[in-house]
Amino acid sequence: MTTPKDPLLQIYRLLITLIGVGFLYVIWPYISSVVVLLVFAFLLTTILLPGVDTLERKIKSRGMSVLLVTVGLAALITLFIASFASGLYSQGVDFSQQINNQDYQNNLMQLVNNVRDALPPSLQDMLPQESGEKGGLIGSVLKNLSGVLQNLLSVAGAIGSFIFNFVMVLIFTVILLYEYHNFKRSLVRFISNKYFEIGLRLIFNIERAVSSYLRGQLLAASSVGIMSIIGLVILNMFGANLTLVIFIGIIAGLANLIPLVGPFVGMVPAMLIAVMNNLGNEAALHHHLFSVIPSPFYLLDIVLMFIIVQQIDNNFVTPMLVGESVGLHPMLVMIALLIGGTLLGPLGMLFAVPAAGVLKVIGQEWSFVSKNAHLL
Amino acid sequence: MKNALWSNIFSNWQQEESQTVLTLKQVPIFSGLKPRELRAIENLVHVRTYQPGEMIFKRHAPGEGMYIILSGKVEIYLEPTPGERNVLATLSDGDFFGELSLLDDEARSAAAVAADATELLGFFRPDLLSLLERNPELGNKILINLARVISARLRKTNDLLTEAQQSRKHDDA
Repeated sequence: MTTPKDPLLQIYRLLITLIGVGFLYVIWPYISSVVVLLVFAFLLTTILLPGVDTLERKIKSRGMSVLLVTVGLAALITLFIASFASGLYSQGVDFSQQINNQDYQNNLMQLVNNVRDALPPSLQDMLPQESGEKGGLIGSVLKNLSGVLQNLLSVAGAIGSFIFNFVMVLIFTVILLYEYHNFKRSLVRFISNKYFEIGLRLIFNIERAVSSYLRGQLLAASSVGIMSIIGLVILNMFGANLTLVIFIGIIAGLANLIPLVGPFVGMVPAMLIAVMNNLGNEAALHHHLFSVIPSPFYLLDIVLMFIIVQQIDNNFVTPMLVGESVGLHPMLVMIALLIGGTLLGPLGMLFAVPAAGVLKVIGQEWSFVSKNAHLL
Repeated sequence: MKNALWSNIFSNWQQEESQTVLTLKQVPIFSGLKPRELRAIENLVHVRTYQPGEMIFKRHAPGEGMYIILSGKVEIYLEPTPGERNVLATLSDGDFFGELSLLDDEARSAAAVAADATELLGFFRPDLLSLLERNPELGNKILINLARVISARLRKTNDLLTEAQQSRKHDDA
């Protein structure tokens, strides 16, 4: 039996909602950074929760398992950043020495001229002319590069803020992991009796979908990262002269988290480093893939290697690890990526698919609830 | 006479059991559990309050778990025709219902309504599944107890069926 709705009550509810939205709009600039940190902490909690639960089963102490998992994660990330920073430092020193070397500049100019000659005349006019010294395309590239090196101090500031945010996310994650089940219990207390069971069901299904998606994606990203590192090492055996191999592999793995666009983004650092390291090397410039297809600076080899890694990942690893994943239509994935990218940039693209997956689960449960509404 | 100092030091050792733990102890599904395990269950269940006449669940509604009565009264009933209420049982403090929903997501076979101001403890499938992952030892104890409750009911149903068949034979003869 439905009760007639009181119009005054509805106006009152509308007013309360409007005041709430207005208040949120006013305070949003002050709380947005904390909310973003909390969202990251929540995502990290969702990924780590099964690990903590499994460890709790073994050692029978929630606190100890949370401590072990977070300390392990922090140690891994610190190790990665430290090794990456030292690798990047030596690479930066090499590169700055190369930039100051006149031969390097000449080689770069020669490369640009070769590319220009290979282009049709209509496109040649679109490129800036080289004036021989520090003008034109190369001059601007070199100027920008030295500008980048001079701005390392501002990079240090950004690193400081990153470390602060990282530590805050880690603290939030520890608290969320330790109190997760109690938090959830406190939150569901606010659901009315009528929707209580269905609410629990919805939360459980969303939790399961997001957790399995995130874990699957993380495992798939790790597999792409490891396979890329192996592929790059193999290319190095054939004289590709690639440095920062582990860094490139990790970037490729992380980029793989963004569907459709990620795999292409993952190739870019490897190709840039291949060009940077092999400039002036005649053998690398005239390298042929399978001794047939011209592949200057091993660029085609790198593309082929990444395509092979992607194929192995798409056809064997991901189906095994992610399974059905969130089961979204490719068209919806693309729309979600575009919306996420427009709203939050690369970060939005990273979260677009899990967010769309959550909306899908909510939609499915909504249709389940509407079908059974007369029974609630 | 009690020594105040010692009773103060060991006050945590003689913690009074909460109403929830005392009620859980009476439920066969939680029988044989250690005090620590009962406290773990206490942290898992949801306390819900119902007004007199408030529906707990309707018949054929999707079921997510069981309820234990902390205080008050609950009527379990069928509605053969709209408005006609065939009360199957009236349950009170310490009684429990809906336990089959812990095992499957089949629809509720009867409706439940609060006959009085009622306080219930809800123990739901997602909580049981989470417990089985985190503490399988405790989860298995509950599952075995649940199986015992269901097998006792099945045995009772078999006895009733046998009795009914025998009385039918007797009537035919």
